[in-house]
Amino acid sequence: MKKNTLYIALLAISGLLISCNPTPDITNDMLDSGQISYAITDSLQKHLVSEYLSNPTTQQKNTPVIIAAHGYTATTFEWDELRHYADSAKTFYVSQVLLGGHGRSYAEFKKATWEDWQGSIKDEYIKLSNLGFTKIYLAGSSTGGPLVINLLKTNFFANYTKPKGIFLVDPIIVSSNKTLTMVGLLGTVLGYTTVELSTGEAGKWYIYRPQETLKQLMSLINITRLDLEKGITLPVGTSMKVYKSQTDDVADPISSLMIYKGMKTSTGGKIDVQLVDSKIHVFTRLSGREGVTAHDRTMQHNTFKEMETKMKQ
Amino acid sequence: MRKLGFILFIVLTYCFQAAAQISGSDELGVGLRFQKTEQLYWENGVGLDYTSDLLLHKHIHLKMSYATSRIGSAMIGNALKQDNYLIGADWRFRSQKDFQIFAGLNTGFFHADMESTAFNVLPHNSMLFSLETGLFYKFKFIPMATNLSVGYNLINGDGVSKPGTLFPVYYQLSVFYYIGKK
Repeated sequence: MKKNTLYIALLAISGLLISCNPTPDITNDMLDSGQISYAITDSLQKHLVSEYLSNPTTQQKNTPVIIAAHGYTATTFEWDELRHYADSAKTFYVSQVLLGGHGRSYAEFKKATWEDWQGSIKDEYIKLSNLGFTKIYLAGSSTGGPLVINLLKTNFFANYTKPKGIFLVDPIIVSSNKTLTMVGLLGTVLGYTTVELSTGEAGKWYIYRPQETLKQLMSLINITRLDLEKGITLPVGTSMKVYKSQTDDVADPISSLMIYKGMKTSTGGKIDVQLVDSKIHVFTRLSGREGVTAHDRTMQHNTFKEMETKMKQ
Repeated sequence: MRKLGFILFIVLTYCFQAAAQISGSDELGVGLRFQKTEQLYWENGVGLDYTSDLLLHKHIHLKMSYATSRIGSAMIGNALKQDNYLIGADWRFRSQKDFQIFAGLNTGFFHADMESTAFNVLPHNSMLFSLETGLFYKFKFIPMATNLSVGYNLINGDGVSKPGTLFPVYYQLSVFYYIGKK
């Protein structure tokens, strides 16, 4: 009798594990479908400075350029507004990298590792350094933050032009949704999770988040947290500014304190962290959002203006 | 924070005095607690475990503990300094045996030290409320016991109103010495 109960329990658990991890219901209007790709040549030529300024003049080489990395499940769209600001100001360039596995399809996303996500930032940095750009900056929003911090930790810049500065907007070291910490235990049962997008966001973010990618995200932020606990020093001549929304239901604001404690300038000084009076995750991206206020627009503009000012110094 | 540490000290002192007067059926264990939060810090500290025949023939155990990253992850790196003050009660199955299984409820207080006034606007204090279950083993020839358990914090950080380093799942190992027992 007891044996039968055990067999039934084992069968039920096996059935549960098999029935979980199904393929989500993807339609052609979703980024997940692969019908809307940001990885096509046209898009890359439009967004990457190394593509549209492949033969830079001396003046262009000495103009600041920001390599802007977006967050988990997002696309280059996340930094469009900074690009528009730069196009208008004409004092710096923005190179919008598309993270590996992103902006393609659910299948491509599912098999990509966080090192794949980071690969496109490295590629663009190497290209701009080799093209002779002298004032290279990096900007990372949300997951773009730990991806950039990891480049510092692994001494990626040792053989290239050193970055002049790093800007992080709502970097994630700790997720606000603490269920993510259990993805290693529950991942197989979860299969994938779903997010709601506004009309303006549809087609620009993945809707479905495969558990494999959630595990990659957890792995990246855990590695970064541990690296910060050990301490990371910026290269000589590199500055860092972190902007963090005080209330954020995606990237826990405590992430900013972890970065503040873990990062040091080359002279052992503290880095600059600003807690922003905002409840928006990645408050510098307002396009496509609903309920944006005048205060939100002011915070966005002030941040872009400060970034521009810092690059003139 | 210092006030709470002082209160804990007073409570521990009282327990030691009480232990000197405990009757034959009472059991008071004092010991060390080693705690690891899933995907976060090591937080270590001290704990108490008390039971008596009056508590449903030792099926119920009352406990108290203090665990902190100050003598854990924050000792060797830039981890945040945080403190967990817990009181709770367990139900012990097989309470007369050396090897027991238990399940219980804890409540208490959590505090994270923001270290810089600029970060004090972030939530850093919270009530604790957790479920815990695990195994308990009483050694045969020495007045000592150990327990290993997993806990789940029902209140945890959300990026809005709760401390960000209050994570849901933790594991703990405690080792107790029973005062007055041979």
